[in-house]
Amino acid sequence: MSKLEIKNLKAKIGDKEILKGLDLALEEGKVHVIMGPNGAGKSTLSKAIVGHYDINVTDGKIIFKGKDITNEEPEIRALEGLFLSFQHPVEIPGVNNAYFLRTAVNAKRRYEGKEELNAAEFLREMREIAKEIGLKPELLNRSLNVGFSGGEKKRNEVLQMMMLKPDVIILDEIDSGLDIDALKDVSKGINKLRDGKRSFLIITHYSRILDYVKPDYIHILMDGKVVKTAGPELVEKLEKEGYSSFEEK
Amino acid sequence: MRVDILNALDSNGILKECKASSLKKHIANRLYEVKIPTKKSEKYRYFDIEDFTSKDLEVVSTSKDKFKQQGKSLVIEDGEVVSAPEGVEVEIGEFLDVDNDHFDGLYYLNHLLTQNAIILRVKRDISFNIKHIFNKEEVFLNYRVVIFIDANSFVEIYESIEANSKDSQILSGYDIFLSRDANLKFFKNQTLNENSSLPIFTNYFKVDSNATFKYGTFDFAKSSGLNLFKSELHSNSSFNAMHLLFTTSEIKAGTISEIVHLDKSSKSNQMAKNILTNGSRGIFDALIRVTKAAKYTSAHQNSKAILLDSKSYMASKPQLEIYIDELEASHGSTTGQLDENALFYLRSRGINKAEAVKMLILAFANEAIEFVDNKEIANHIYVDFEKAYYGSSDIECIKTCHECEDMILGS
Ligand SMILES: Nc1ncnc2c1ncn2[C@@H]1O[C@H](COP(=O)(O)OP(=O)(O)OP(=O)(O)O)[C@@H](O)[C@H]1O
Ligand SMILES: [Mg+2]
Repeated sequence: MSKLEIKNLKAKIGDKEILKGLDLALEEGKVHVIMGPNGAGKSTLSKAIVGHYDINVTDGKIIFKGKDITNEEPEIRALEGLFLSFQHPVEIPGVNNAYFLRTAVNAKRRYEGKEELNAAEFLREMREIAKEIGLKPELLNRSLNVGFSGGEKKRNEVLQMMMLKPDVIILDEIDSGLDIDALKDVSKGINKLRDGKRSFLIITHYSRILDYVKPDYIHILMDGKVVKTAGPELVEKLEKEGYSSFEEK
Repeated sequence: MRVDILNALDSNGILKECKASSLKKHIANRLYEVKIPTKKSEKYRYFDIEDFTSKDLEVVSTSKDKFKQQGKSLVIEDGEVVSAPEGVEVEIGEFLDVDNDHFDGLYYLNHLLTQNAIILRVKRDISFNIKHIFNKEEVFLNYRVVIFIDANSFVEIYESIEANSKDSQILSGYDIFLSRDANLKFFKNQTLNENSSLPIFTNYFKVDSNATFKYGTFDFAKSSGLNLFKSELHSNSSFNAMHLLFTTSEIKAGTISEIVHLDKSSKSNQMAKNILTNGSRGIFDALIRVTKAAKYTSAHQNSKAILLDSKSYMASKPQLEIYIDELEASHGSTTGQLDENALFYLRSRGINKAEAVKMLILAFANEAIEFVDNKEIANHIYVDFEKAYYGSSDIECIKTCHECEDMILGS
């Protein structure tokens, strides 16, 4: 059964059509990988899924856990269990990182009818995870992403992912610009959340992360469409031949 | 009295009408030159000053000189000192030594109508509060406070207002003389309830050589009000100002100021942050003038405004007037909406839109509130901000107070 289904999705940014009838289905418990050339529409797809205001969906449907969420508010999508780790996480001066995260975690708990975490419980869990993924503890008490290095921002996205425990996780170039230790830490976080139920969509340009996170499916996205879906063996072919052989005639 | 009639009189006529002693002739002369502001006055253009100057109200001033001296607060109720802080000399008396070059006509009017100023002499390191209470209805409350701060003293003042009255207008202000090497921190919290009397504070600050003045004004008012000041900087002195304005109803409020660098190596830094909603108008009309003698000065000025609806309006006018080359200066002004990208990021983590907006506004305000380096005072200001925003404050610590987060996270 698929957790997230994208049917014939067409989307514009401004006047420009970026997604041109894209189909994709994420299976329960599986790791899907999207690869594709720069500007193909990978980030656009991920933003469309979480309801970013830049993206104007003109046709098609996004079905999440059986519900049509194509026109849903972004916070509802998140509360329902969607998570996007952004390619470029935004810096927000004056919003304390830990305070932000606690607000988010408790918003989700309330939505699920659970009791809010008290400060001590929250801080314990946050610190533990931060340590696990090598996020410097002082970053927890700084303004959200402000002045964080590229790698620190990505680790902070992973921290949020691990605290929020979403059902479908989209990682847009989580591995770009990471040093080898950071890549291992981030992969550890991802693998820890693999429980046979959660689905992952990893957008990447490099096979490197796939040495640590074993994928189930590889999709190739070109010019606003998924043009090929296959098993992990596709990566090797890609590395050798590049994208040109997948171009639609 | 109706004060706008003074514009038709010569200085003798002004003196007489204000029932001022002839020793104040120089003040009347200045008012004659500068005039009572009208809606045509450049600096008052965005404020309905005629509501203030055209009402015929009975003038109420300081007259009593009996008060208790105890605790750490100067409490002024309807212009009368009811208690004065220990460690500060307080006297009720005539004050003539006004600024002869002030831009504001109301500054001179205020002095002319003040027979007895409240004069404070601070001769040692001290921290105290000033509280203004307005109770009387339908009067023109007029009084002034003069503060002399001795050389080398470290002084911190927290000013707040309790406005209980309606339909009155208040004209007040400070003349502050900061002696050489003195250090003053002055934090003003002007938070008024709905339909409160209209206060205008018009001030003069003299910052002598090597002195340092940190001036923060915080206005989360639901009623209109104005704070004007001129700050005069002597050699090697420094003046650092932060103004936070947050308005939630259809009012007009803000800051009108002139910072004058009179001598070399003086530093000024002025920052205004404004959050406007519900058709309110924010005013920031601020001039920094660097005179010929003020070589090697630095002067920085910036105004940022966030408009939360299309009816609100920010009248922001930062100005630099420079007569020399050897200096470091900058100014800027931005007006806009909340950062959409930031808003989306918060929402994409499950935080609903209203809450996300609040977080971003608090963040914008925090930067200004952090200017207050005294935790206790900063907390008062947080609470008033929260009340203005949420309608109430439940500083249930961990939820809102960053200091507590710090403590827990740091432990
Ligand atoms: N805000 C925007 N305004 C206008 N055009 C945009 C905007 N964002 C993206 N685009 C355009 O949409 C197209 C797809 O961009 P997208 O970011 O989805 O590509 P991508 O596949 O993620 O590429 P990369 O591998 O470089 O991250 C590009 O041509 C890009 O220039
Ligand atoms: Mg991209």
